[in-house]
Amino acid sequence: MTTKFHSIRIIACVLGTLIAAPVLAGPAAESVSANDPYVRMAPPGMTVTGSFMVLKNADNKDHKLVKAESPVAKVVELHTHTNEGGVMKMRPVKDIEIKAQGEAVLKPGGLHVMLIGLKQELKEGNNVPITLTFEDGSRKKIEAPVRQIQTEMKMNMEMKHDHEGMKH
Amino acid sequence: MKKPLIAMIVIFTLLLVWAIVFWQPTAGKSGAHLPLGLAEAPKGGDFTLHSANGPLSLHDLKGKVVLLYFGYTFCPDICPTSLAFNSQALATLDKTELDKVQMLFVSVDPERDTLDKLKAYTAYFHPSILGLSGTPEEIAKAAKLYGASYARQETGSAGGYVVDHSAYTYVIAPDGSLFKSLDHGTPPPQVVEAIRAAMKKG
Repeated sequence: MTTKFHSIRIIACVLGTLIAAPVLAGPAAESVSANDPYVRMAPPGMTVTGSFMVLKNADNKDHKLVKAESPVAKVVELHTHTNEGGVMKMRPVKDIEIKAQGEAVLKPGGLHVMLIGLKQELKEGNNVPITLTFEDGSRKKIEAPVRQIQTEMKMNMEMKHDHEGMKH
Repeated sequence: MKKPLIAMIVIFTLLLVWAIVFWQPTAGKSGAHLPLGLAEAPKGGDFTLHSANGPLSLHDLKGKVVLLYFGYTFCPDICPTSLAFNSQALATLDKTELDKVQMLFVSVDPERDTLDKLKAYTAYFHPSILGLSGTPEEIAKAAKLYGASYARQETGSAGGYVVDHSAYTYVIAPDGSLFKSLDHGTPPPQVVEAIRAAMKKG
């Protein structure tokens, strides 16, 4: 009896998802949220830097970030880093996929929004406006605070610490 | 009663068989490209390059622990992370220890990294770090000794070319011999540990 009940529940869940998906699917920009975005402060004289964030997709279908723009840089591209046998390779990517109910993590050493040709010096505390465009053409405006790499590292370590603390 | 369960097991098994037969790891595809492996196992050794203050050879730094890193300033992510981790390690050392340590950042992009640019760049992370560059031949010679690899790549980015590069920090003992290679992203406490262990060696 329990097995049958269980099977029915699985089928109901699958059917439910299939029916609900088209109803829930709105513009990508409404389903995707950008969490804890920041721009890494560029060292003096440097005109390139990266922006990092966690993109979360609340939708039941996959979405893609296809473009990013910002008034602070001449060009903005989507890039990734791969580590191939100890060799770091930075490459532009066409888009960044955010799986249904999933997330895409843009972080140092991996995916990032690359700001090329900074028009002004970015200081810690400045907010950088970034417009994200998704596969359906919908757009989302976000503000990413500028963080010094030292601040960034401190925050990461504190987060790690909290995490470790939670285990005890 | 148990039919749906059996059906699910059958489907799962078929999927698994299909996956084993047809799944090809994407890594296999990159074999078609020219692989950029690490040049060779690092041996270490003396080299001469240039900083904003003039020429510098490794043997000038005898008696000090040297942290050696190959990178470039256009790198928005990997190099700053490595430099920040190593700088934090330097900041942990007391003054007597710091006097016996020299970090070197060698540019693998001499075309864009001028000595002045390197000076401003390295100082942002820690005032004691020296930025070095040289002719492509001089850089290649130093890189070869340490097994550091790098290759200029056109990627179609509007920012211009990038330089693929290995991101190890080489810890050189006070006697000039290579003590250890640290992986990219080695946390500052482990860098400090390696520096102190290398100090004992010379």
